Amino acid sequence: MIGLYAKAAVAAVLPGRARSLPDTVLERSVTPEVGHLADYARVCGFPLGDALPLTYPHVLAFPLQVELMAGRSFPLPLPGLVHVANRIRVHRAIAPDERLEVRVRAERFAAHPRGAQVDLVAEVSVDGVRVWDGRSTYLARGAQAPTGLAGELPDLPEVDGPAAAVWQVPADTGRRYAAVSGDVNPIHLNPVTARAFGFPRAIAHGMWSAARALAALQGRVPEAATYEVGFRKPLLLPSTAELVTEQAKEGWDLAVRGRKGAVHLSGTVRRV
Amino acid sequence: MPSTPRRAAVIGGNRIPFARANGRYARASNLDMLTTTLDGLVARHGLAGERLGEVVAGAVLKHSRDFNLTREAVLGSRLAPSTPAYDVQQACGTGLEAAILVANKIALGQIESGVAGGVDTASDAPIAVNEDLRRVLVAINGARTVQQRVKLLAKLRPGQIVPDIPRNSEPRTGLSMGEHAAITAKEWGVSREAQDELAAASHRNLAAAYERGFLDDLVTPYLGLTRDDNLRPDSSVEKLAKLKPVFGTQFGDDATMTAGNSTPLTDGAALALLGSDEWAAAHKLPVLAHFVDAETAAVDYVHGRDGLLTAPVYAVPRLLERNGLTLQDFDFYEIHEAFASTVLATLKAWEDVEFAKDRLGLDAPLGPIDRSRLNVTGSSLAAGHPFAATGGRIVATLAKLLHEKGTGEGGRKARGLISICAAGGQGVVAILEAA
Amino acid sequence: MSTDRFRDLSNTALAGRLGVPRVPLLRRYEPGQPLLPGPALVTSVGAGRFAKPIAALVEESGQQVLDAVGEQKLAAVVVDLTAATTLDDLAAARAILTPAVRKLAPSGRLLLLGPDPAEASAGARVEAAATAQALDGLVRTIAKELRAGATANLLVVAAEAPPAAVDSAVRFFLSARSAYVDGQVVRVGVPVGSPRDPGAMDSPTLPEKPLAGRVAVVTGAARGIGAAIADTLARDGATLVVVDIPAAGENLAKVANRTGGTALQLDITAADAPERLIAHLTQRHGRLDLLVHNAGITRDKLLANMDPDRWKAVLDVNLRAQLRITEALLAEGTLLQDGSRIVCVSSQSGIGGNRGQANYVASKAGIIGMVRALAPVVAEKGVTINAVAPGFIETEMTATMPLGTREAGRRVNSLRQGGLPVDVAETIGWLGQAESGGVNGQVVRVCGQSMLGA
Repeated sequence: MIGLYAKAAVAAVLPGRARSLPDTVLERSVTPEVGHLADYARVCGFPLGDALPLTYPHVLAFPLQVELMAGRSFPLPLPGLVHVANRIRVHRAIAPDERLEVRVRAERFAAHPRGAQVDLVAEVSVDGVRVWDGRSTYLARGAQAPTGLAGELPDLPEVDGPAAAVWQVPADTGRRYAAVSGDVNPIHLNPVTARAFGFPRAIAHGMWSAARALAALQGRVPEAATYEVGFRKPLLLPSTAELVTEQAKEGWDLAVRGRKGAVHLSGTVRRV
Repeated sequence: MPSTPRRAAVIGGNRIPFARANGRYARASNLDMLTTTLDGLVARHGLAGERLGEVVAGAVLKHSRDFNLTREAVLGSRLAPSTPAYDVQQACGTGLEAAILVANKIALGQIESGVAGGVDTASDAPIAVNEDLRRVLVAINGARTVQQRVKLLAKLRPGQIVPDIPRNSEPRTGLSMGEHAAITAKEWGVSREAQDELAAASHRNLAAAYERGFLDDLVTPYLGLTRDDNLRPDSSVEKLAKLKPVFGTQFGDDATMTAGNSTPLTDGAALALLGSDEWAAAHKLPVLAHFVDAETAAVDYVHGRDGLLTAPVYAVPRLLERNGLTLQDFDFYEIHEAFASTVLATLKAWEDVEFAKDRLGLDAPLGPIDRSRLNVTGSSLAAGHPFAATGGRIVATLAKLLHEKGTGEGGRKARGLISICAAGGQGVVAILEAA
Repeated sequence: MSTDRFRDLSNTALAGRLGVPRVPLLRRYEPGQPLLPGPALVTSVGAGRFAKPIAALVEESGQQVLDAVGEQKLAAVVVDLTAATTLDDLAAARAILTPAVRKLAPSGRLLLLGPDPAEASAGARVEAAATAQALDGLVRTIAKELRAGATANLLVVAAEAPPAAVDSAVRFFLSARSAYVDGQVVRVGVPVGSPRDPGAMDSPTLPEKPLAGRVAVVTGAARGIGAAIADTLARDGATLVVVDIPAAGENLAKVANRTGGTALQLDITAADAPERLIAHLTQRHGRLDLLVHNAGITRDKLLANMDPDRWKAVLDVNLRAQLRITEALLAEGTLLQDGSRIVCVSSQSGIGGNRGQANYVASKAGIIGMVRALAPVVAEKGVTINAVAPGFIETEMTATMPLGTREAGRRVNSLRQGGLPVDVAETIGWLGQAESGGVNGQVVRVCGQSMLGA
């Protein structure tokens, strides 16, 4: 994975980058390994049970996402891509021993007020039947989308109640999540590498915050659901964060915010 | 009224004085304290060598070596080693829940006698190794060769050799009990003055109880400590008013909870002796009171609207309903003082018209209680609160109060209500009646 | 408890060669031990009516009884002098005793039974009174002359007392239970209460458990002499209620549990203490066969420096509480029954006084006055009340004394050593038996015949 980042970094400075999205569809077939699943569950706060955590297939798709984005045929440079939103839909509970076919492709290369955005779409099927969809939206600051189309970002509600939980987020959270997700982006790993990318300290993975927040709703998330999140201010490590949850029609609204009110993540969980 | 074949009798109790954490009992383990307390109970009731139906107790902060804590205590005590025992754990509700279990078995005729209670030490708390280290150690334990072990050891980094110290916080919210209580206090507008008054009354009442010898047959000294060392007989509202808030400080000037109107971390153990009337008579032991009924409730304090320590607010109306009683039909109220604000918020909730209608589903609120009947010999604010020990302390105390009082209004048997809030959003409540 | 190192050293071979006076190792009672370790001489001067039953008692215990001194060492010498009324009788006693004391074994027992001088005086039988009183001096002297842990004591027996009245006293004084009781004169009268039917008695059928079936209260039982009393009474079969202040509860619980009794944490000076004690006894036992008033405290000061608080504290615990509790129990009327016994722990300093202990001495002397005054009152109910007055007893308290004071206390008695708490306890156990009804209003010193206050 580190190698892919290095390769992407080289590609970023080389001329000849593509101007539109490739048609590539990357595929892998995988059965979750229980040790890895347990590590993931522990880091994110999920119980180890008879269904995969809703966010878990994302880490199975992530290597394919990186491979696709690191290629020279991808129009945006991987270093500097910021994960701004994520949408997951799970159709049914997925058992840990099911053979999963994972397909990843890119779509919706569009303009964003601060650059260009692109969606990495993952589909997970079992025996040809779709069980899980993921859509990760990345922003490339200052980049231009060729079509001039405006991108869509999820419209997420503001949640502003008392904290349901207070998290002490330790400094090694980025390293721990990197170890289970494969997302070894240097901005998450330690303060020195994070500073190289303009952050005062390492920042938590957005998908870790999303997973941790969802884990707090354990027992309240329907088997078939959508989980949509928008990533706001980065969560610097270490820090203290608050989780706010509010029951909504057919689900939950939630937010992760700093003790002083800065919102790191907004999200919704909805029954399908 | 539930129809049970018979009611369990509360015969007596014993506890050791409660000690502030890292003080007098700093070197005493849960097993030490529980065994001593059991021996004191045996001595008080002349039960040396006796086989009892069962001993049920627990601890909230517990070492892994204490997996069979209560049975080990029985084996170390003067009770017959043929007395069975088991552990229960329901946070601060442990002691009362243990008493309910024993009382139910007695009521059903499964046993004739039993001891119930609990113990806790915040001084000798179990410290676990860091999760990374623990997993390496577990792996080393399972390794077959020296090489494998060395390889596993080499994986350790200095940062992983840091102990995990148990925190007095809720796992799902990361908030301490005090922080949770402060939110509830703010929600109910519980004033600083009212909290300090309740705390001062607790100290005053407990000191008076000691002075009149009320605790002579409820407490046995331990390690040279003869009274609860958190007790400040000279406590006053004026002195308490000088303390700085420690919980709810995010509310600024609205922060009301201090070290004086919150219970400190405490070490101690308490047990109650229960039995059938027949067993008591055969052993020429007094029946102080009978267990009438009990109820447990839980609330969603994580994502719901309820406060962590407010479950008794729900448990009591259900218990009253089942027994055809009103909140005013009691001569004594033993409401565990986790925090002064908890007691006051609970009382406010029972008086609130809206709350009764919306949350409790009642036409009318339970109404106010006669405050002169509340915690008349003091409670946890003065005595301290070794989590699992509090239930045993209250059961024995209330039974003795009821025995002293005998009859209540209109010549009916004196009646008392116990209400204990517990971590995890739980509440355990019970009714006792004079024998 | 402090250990008497000098006693141990004095019994070494080296000490013997150096001529260090030997401090005798006293024979003490252990369960299963026979009444006597060797033969006994049992005889009488004149028509004593006790010699025969006592001889029978010794034989029953499995020991040989001799009627004259021979070659054998004697474990005990019992001379019935109750019929002695003249100086000639006294001379006859001398003729028996002179060879007998020479043959007395280590820790031997010399027990005289004599008539009551007061009865002779009352009858204006002058020579009889003189003879009776002479025995008093005689036994005290023999006690001082005996060596190797042997003791001499005198039972003054009322003319009306039936032979069985002395049985429990004889058993006690012959046995190792009386190891540290020396030079004492105890009056035995007609047993109080209704005549005992031997068939219905709980204890003599169980000589190992003379207190079987009896409920005993011991105050101040958490440590020291009180704990020893509890242990000894329990060993002898009593069911214990041990009492001490709440602050002593931790030790008290241990005593209760090892004796199989109940612990009652009670400040005996509290206003409701008698009521609470009565409530406990009523609930748990419905009777009280033996009340041991043992609780006592010291707050030493010379009288010149004595403040009212020290005075009050000591008098309240040591005397007032005993008065109030006894009075309340007598008023209660059902717990103390025919056969119940009250034993109060006084002190040798209550008899002889002690510098710096005006309050303590007053309380302990007061106990003796209380015992004498109550004796005829309680006798009406078949109850006796007696006092034991310990001398120097090795306890935690004496262990903290300065060495000089401690050594002086230990050595100024005929046995040249301090007593043990169990010696006090054994004496109380004897007085607490239902069979000891002939002993009432007496003060028995447990002091190894101390020179202090003699």
